[in-house]
Amino acid sequence: MPIHILGIRHHGVGSAKNVREQLKLLQPDMILVEGPPEITDALQRIGHADLKPPVSVMVYNTENPKQSVFYPFAEYSPEWVAAAYAHQNNIPLRAIDLPAAIGFQMANDEIKEASEAAENPNEPLENEEVLEPMEGIAVRDPLHYLADIAGFTSGSEFWEHYFEKQHFSLHPTEHFEAVTTAITALRDEQIPSALEKENHYREAYMRELMRKAQNELYQNIVIVCGAWHAPALLDLDKTAKADSKILRSLPKTKIKTMATWIPWTNKRLSLTSGYGAGIESPGWAEHLWKTPHEYDLRWLTKVASVFRKKQVDISTAHVIEASRLAESLAALRQQAHPNLGELNEAVLAVMCMGDGIMLNLVREELIVGKKLGKVPDDVPKVPLQGDFERSLKSLRLPLTANAKQYDLDLRNENDLQRSIFLHRLELLGMTWPKRADSRSKGTFRESWTLEWEPEMMISLIEKAYLGNTIEIATQQVVIQQLETETSVGNIATLIQRAIPAELFGVMELLLTKLNDLATLSSDVIDLMTAYPPLVQISRYGNVRKTDLSLMQTLVERLIIRICIGLPNACYGLDDANADKMFVKIGQVNEAILLNDIAETSALWLETLKKLLEKTGISPLIMGCTCRLLLDAQHLSDEEANRHLSYSLSIANTPTDVAAWLEGFLRGSGMILIYDHKLWNLVYQWVASLTPEIFMELLPILRRTFSKFEYAERRQIGEKAKKGQIIDTNTNITTSSSLLDTERAEQILPVLKMLMGNV
Amino acid sequence: MNLLRQHAEVQFSEEIEELKKQDSGHLPPNWHLSPQAVVTYLMGAKLKNGFEVSPKYIGDRRLMEIAVATLTTDRALLLYGLPGTAKSWVSEHLAAAVSGDSTLLIQGTAGTGEEAIRYGWNYARLLAEGPTEGALVTTPMMTAMKDGKIARIEELTRISADVQDTLITILSEKSMPIPELSTEVQAIKGFNVIATANNRDKGVNELSGALKRRFNTVILPVPDSADEEVDIVRRRVASMAKTLDLPAQAPALVEIQRIVKIFRELRSGATEDGKIKLKTPTGTMSTAEAISVVNNGLALAAHFGDGVLNAQDLAAGLVGAVVKDPVQDKVVWKEYLETVVKTREEWKDIYRACRELSI
Repeated sequence: MPIHILGIRHHGVGSAKNVREQLKLLQPDMILVEGPPEITDALQRIGHADLKPPVSVMVYNTENPKQSVFYPFAEYSPEWVAAAYAHQNNIPLRAIDLPAAIGFQMANDEIKEASEAAENPNEPLENEEVLEPMEGIAVRDPLHYLADIAGFTSGSEFWEHYFEKQHFSLHPTEHFEAVTTAITALRDEQIPSALEKENHYREAYMRELMRKAQNELYQNIVIVCGAWHAPALLDLDKTAKADSKILRSLPKTKIKTMATWIPWTNKRLSLTSGYGAGIESPGWAEHLWKTPHEYDLRWLTKVASVFRKKQVDISTAHVIEASRLAESLAALRQQAHPNLGELNEAVLAVMCMGDGIMLNLVREELIVGKKLGKVPDDVPKVPLQGDFERSLKSLRLPLTANAKQYDLDLRNENDLQRSIFLHRLELLGMTWPKRADSRSKGTFRESWTLEWEPEMMISLIEKAYLGNTIEIATQQVVIQQLETETSVGNIATLIQRAIPAELFGVMELLLTKLNDLATLSSDVIDLMTAYPPLVQISRYGNVRKTDLSLMQTLVERLIIRICIGLPNACYGLDDANADKMFVKIGQVNEAILLNDIAETSALWLETLKKLLEKTGISPLIMGCTCRLLLDAQHLSDEEANRHLSYSLSIANTPTDVAAWLEGFLRGSGMILIYDHKLWNLVYQWVASLTPEIFMELLPILRRTFSKFEYAERRQIGEKAKKGQIIDTNTNITTSSSLLDTERAEQILPVLKMLMGNV
Repeated sequence: MNLLRQHAEVQFSEEIEELKKQDSGHLPPNWHLSPQAVVTYLMGAKLKNGFEVSPKYIGDRRLMEIAVATLTTDRALLLYGLPGTAKSWVSEHLAAAVSGDSTLLIQGTAGTGEEAIRYGWNYARLLAEGPTEGALVTTPMMTAMKDGKIARIEELTRISADVQDTLITILSEKSMPIPELSTEVQAIKGFNVIATANNRDKGVNELSGALKRRFNTVILPVPDSADEEVDIVRRRVASMAKTLDLPAQAPALVEIQRIVKIFRELRSGATEDGKIKLKTPTGTMSTAEAISVVNNGLALAAHFGDGVLNAQDLAAGLVGAVVKDPVQDKVVWKEYLETVVKTREEWKDIYRACRELSI
């Protein structure tokens, strides 16, 4: 009753080839592969035409889909090869490993213990990866010991050289014997692996399931498992007693799990996941799998055709030269054949003119590859969909085909949660929630219209790859947007959107990106667009759990940049751009008043003053600058007067004068009516004009004033009749003397209540 | 010897001899060392008999391997990179190690003519004797072909395009026809060409496609880590201070580290901790420039200061190195001063020194 153990490396091409050959030789009647028993059913689908790798089995906790493990497969994964063989020959296939549910339970218990141990129980960490390396201790890759002896720099290089290269080919039986011997040598020396603790349980469970298969009278069992486990699975009889003891010590669990297939990408294959093993170059591995002969030359021709598609001229001679260089490099490094490293270097030197950017193209297209797997339609639901439906239920938001309006009061907890949820869906790109105009004003009210269409579910499922919950998926969307965004203003808006969606996890990323962009951006207008919302957030923003000090330094740095760049940015603007700049200067000024930091204000005013002394700047901006400085009392009356009469001198072109005045009054006539100081300035100026010059200026002034409202103009006219207002201070003193202190005090308690007992 | 500077093969003759003795690798025809030994010569190592070979290139070993492997094939080698990334230095040492002769050098300029690459005529003899072998003036390129050695071309992209293209026959046919004498010079095994070019200069003569195809390109990058760069600057400053007889004290390591930090941050466009992104100036901010800033500072300190390198001495050179373009770079430098230098407590002196110089 033979048992054959095939020790492999997950996603190892050489391993997969040997498994394929060995299965043909052994003709087993039962195949066991490493993996939790929950995926056994899912594995039966391997071999069906609709399931196209790269794909991954996802096992998740049905209560909490965030807790999940992935078992990705590529065409050249040894487990995939074994499963495909089983399907083709109608042999039973089972997964043997510790059930994922127990793994989840163990992780949960650990968190519980950790939080109980700590006096202040911190927030439980969401453990996405169940298999974590032993805490604290960096465990060396056990193969490293062999690599050291054989003169390789790393364990994986050693493995690669002896067990994965096709030119180093042993007979498959010998190959697996060699693997087992090598690992046995290591394990006999008690060399620990990174997952020592888990392996203890896992191997006991594997053995248990193997015994079960034996008891079912299968005659010829093949086990495909990670090479490290191979020696531990050899002896089933002696370990039986000890195993049952180990298995009894495992925690009991009520966690229910589901397993489903999801499409995977080559990019994700290159990340470490479920097995604790990822591969760096899935595309290269696939090439090796599919190209048994002359893999180096064929690789170079592939590279050449990628370049040609991208309009880079690569001739056959290039391929020849690259191949020769790769071979010389391999010889220099005393290798029999060039490896990916040598091929890359040859491509870099021969085809890319040494330019790494072009090699990145090869990396993206070939070495990693852009393949996306496919999963049949009838596989079970994805967790994101489940999370969505759970949220709908708990928030009492039914899916209805006719539009329904929700008026949310954010002071109410359920409504607040609804608002957060809807904001997230909006960021996720779902068209279901639509913002409606709120009927009542106030920052705590929001209105939404919800109208469901079946297509919306598909768009949600399409986003399943982003994450298992709406929150995670939304964060992912924000991160993706972030990566391609180049405008500072847009990032600021994104931050404003992320806050009501309570995506605090990405806030730091957003701020860092904002900071990066702000530094590089030479577009001062862009920076100025970003400044007011950021000040808003840093002043009043509900940025819980976010480092506000970072925000504050960012805002400060931003204003420094604006101040350095502003004078140059104001040069030579045409009317449309000057108009834009005029608006921005006003907005930034307001934000600076709001921010109320003495240092920043001083810097800003200094910049404005510098601006005022320059020439060649649009009069609209000059007028505005003059006015802002006057308001901030940074400009004496005489100076203001000088600027006013200088800029409105007859020598200036009429349009310039009109623009200056418009900027100075900042587009509103009201100010002339209420600000006596300003009134006096303008009045004095008009009075100082000789009749001839006044007549000449009149059309221009008319042009500016005609933009004001009729009522404003009438009031200005009436004020002009009264002449100069002599005592600008009187109105303040008189009003204070009119005050009835007794009556005024009566409202103080109410004010106090409103302002929250300051 | 009173020479200001010696050729690599003379200065390091002892190392080359030792390597030759220890060399067990396969020698390509006309090579003085095996490819492995050439790489060892460049990267430095302790030999089996305890002899120490000094490192000539501090950086990625793989790059040197590509360069040496290229020379073993029949493709020529093009060293590409920013000014000050040791291109010429590497090319000289490669030639010295491979053929024991780094003197077969053609300097590329806008005025380099065809006769500097192929051959020229001694006109007096040409008139007297007509076209004969004796009237022919050979070039380093022709000598290298005849002797099976490495020829070097500096600043290949500065040579005008039509002259560059005369290299095509030499590199692909490995022969140089002399139609006047109805003969040709055919290259002996061991011949190859190392060219250098920098990729920052604007208005250079881009290589033609045909010529590009005959070169394998290796880009020499700026140093990887701060420690590596500090090491390079320190070694070079020390050796140059010796040859220039500067009486100032050797600079403190902290000053060098500070300069290297400023250079690295501005070059990479981010502060060292990666927290603040920075604009990068138009200049290259190469290691070679960092070396010259420190040397300048040393000279200032020696002749006009108190003999100890301090922030004032460095500031002038530093600002000069950063601000190459009076408009753009000024903004970059100002931003850097205000947002980075100012906030570093222990950098107050350099902040003040640079502010005083404010341009």
